[in-house]
Amino acid sequence: MQFNLFHLMPYPYLPDDFDAKYDTASLTLPNGIFDPKRGVALYNRYLDELEYAEQLGFDAVAVNEHHQSAYGIMPSPNIVIGALARRTSHIRLCALGNAIALRDHPLRVAEEIAMLDNITDGRVISGFVRGIGFECYAQSVSPTRSIARFREAHDLIVKAWESREPFQWISENYEFRYVNVWPRSVQQPHPPIWVPGTGSFETMQWVAQHRYSYLSVYAPTRVIKSWFDGFRAAAKECGYVPAPEQIGFMVPIYVAETDERAHEEGRQHVEWLYHKALKIRTEYYFPAGYLSAKSFRGMIGSGAKPFNQLSYEEILDMGYAVVGSAATVREKLKALEAYLGFGNLCAVLQIGDMPHERTMKNMELFARQVMPAFAGNRH
Amino acid sequence: MDSYHEFNMSNGNTAKQLRVGATSVSVLEGGAGRPLLVLHPAGGAGNWLPYHETLARRYRVIAPDCPGFGHSADSDLVDGVDDLAFLYADLIEQLDLKDLIVLGSSFGGWVAAELAVLVARSAISKLILVDAIGLRIPEAPIADLFAMGPAEKMAALFHDRTIAARLFPAEPDIDTIMAFYRDEMAFAKFAWSPFCCNPKLERRLHRITVPTLILWGEHDAVVPRQHAERYAARIPQAQLQIVPDAGHAVLMERPEEAIRAIEQFVGT
Repeated sequence: MQFNLFHLMPYPYLPDDFDAKYDTASLTLPNGIFDPKRGVALYNRYLDELEYAEQLGFDAVAVNEHHQSAYGIMPSPNIVIGALARRTSHIRLCALGNAIALRDHPLRVAEEIAMLDNITDGRVISGFVRGIGFECYAQSVSPTRSIARFREAHDLIVKAWESREPFQWISENYEFRYVNVWPRSVQQPHPPIWVPGTGSFETMQWVAQHRYSYLSVYAPTRVIKSWFDGFRAAAKECGYVPAPEQIGFMVPIYVAETDERAHEEGRQHVEWLYHKALKIRTEYYFPAGYLSAKSFRGMIGSGAKPFNQLSYEEILDMGYAVVGSAATVREKLKALEAYLGFGNLCAVLQIGDMPHERTMKNMELFARQVMPAFAGNRH
Repeated sequence: MDSYHEFNMSNGNTAKQLRVGATSVSVLEGGAGRPLLVLHPAGGAGNWLPYHETLARRYRVIAPDCPGFGHSADSDLVDGVDDLAFLYADLIEQLDLKDLIVLGSSFGGWVAAELAVLVARSAISKLILVDAIGLRIPEAPIADLFAMGPAEKMAALFHDRTIAARLFPAEPDIDTIMAFYRDEMAFAKFAWSPFCCNPKLERRLHRITVPTLILWGEHDAVVPRQHAERYAARIPQAQLQIVPDAGHAVLMERPEEAIRAIEQFVGT
């Protein structure tokens, strides 16, 4: 099992009247709420947590890209990786991912990842995402073009990494007459590529065809099972069985000394994540065209509740978070591993508004009392 | 949307597929007389509505669904409003429409304006723009319908909410929701960015030399009055008329008053 610490870097200092006054934590939550003085401490605290992951023996840390949101204050994951590059020595650093469909200049991503791969001597993992619905508003990119832009930007970036000569790129959404990315990446032909999916069959097929790693995002366990099965089926169609690390399971985890204490301490943070940070207007989350008509029909037909309407018990029962003593968490993760089949665990250990000390304790208990149980099959 | 479907069926009007160049367009047609090309707003394409029926008493109404909307298949060859203008220019030639009146509302008004700029004098004799989007006026932004939920959207489109409530079911079935979603996807394709406009349209409006009626709901909460005034100022032979007690969806909310104004304008 590969263990990755996935950090979302939420902004925990929401106003007391947030629930009553705001219907979203993203896109239009006024940025006046962000206090730069607290920001200084917060970013540095989060970086400390990410750096600590190396000491604790995680295989990688993963950070992501979000815009105009209290859910995550990393408009650029590459900056975070840059900050970690020389403060760490062997842990892998994963941008999970750069939202390339939002970019009018995707070559900037090719350049930055290649730079980071040089600075870190090949420790970078390059995740790619489309960007989520509200970011189509935030970056003025039509949701109807998001998939095409993602694929074109990906093809362009990979070609730029692999090429040894300048070339011309012309596609529907991009035109670059002189592509000649300096520097070249240390990992050849390019850093590993990871792509999260939300159940779209086309994405599973595409990831399988490219032999990249497929990762889940927040969803009920049974739904994730269908995604991973779909991915395995897509790989089979391509004539191979995916390697364990090609399937990644992302989940918030809280470990404490006892089950009782874990719930007592963890509950508020899990609730904060799902009830506040992921609170969003439907129209922001699913702008027209972001989902194909088929996927949209499936989504409204599923009757899935918005995150902020899930009770704590539902969150746990459906598998949106794993909370308990080390023994309980080990047991649950073993069961999930057996049921879902994944070789890459992206553990969100700083959950919602969880303070630093509690986060560090969670990380320590997880690394010392949960990870070793999977040591036998560690990559 | 039940009333849409019922009306559609009771009228016996069925959509026919028309091949225009490489694109297939679904067209509703009714009535006889002088041809009237009716270009739909962003929502509700593919439905023969009461205002179509009223207009069909006096005109030969030709109401195509833009590709991606209503019953028209989406087309990769049509991904901008300029493409729609060329498509309808072709359609006018293909159907050999003479002495044509073009009526477009909201999104359809934008398409109609682009079409009139393109074909100018030769193919259109009169133009009617109803609460049209299409212009970029930064100090008078068009409301963001993409970001609105269904209830907010109805409140923005209609001045009289009881009319909205009568026309649209409170709990639509999945097929109705999907029809809306499909239209909205097509609208996002054409109007997400630049938002609901062609920044170059305004400087081209002088090419519209036919008599033009700018018809606007008094309480349009989607497209501010400045847009009506700007269209009226830039189109040489334009007159602006306000429909009282109406919101953005004038033709659905005050069909009688709107059509009276249209007939009066066409008759002159």
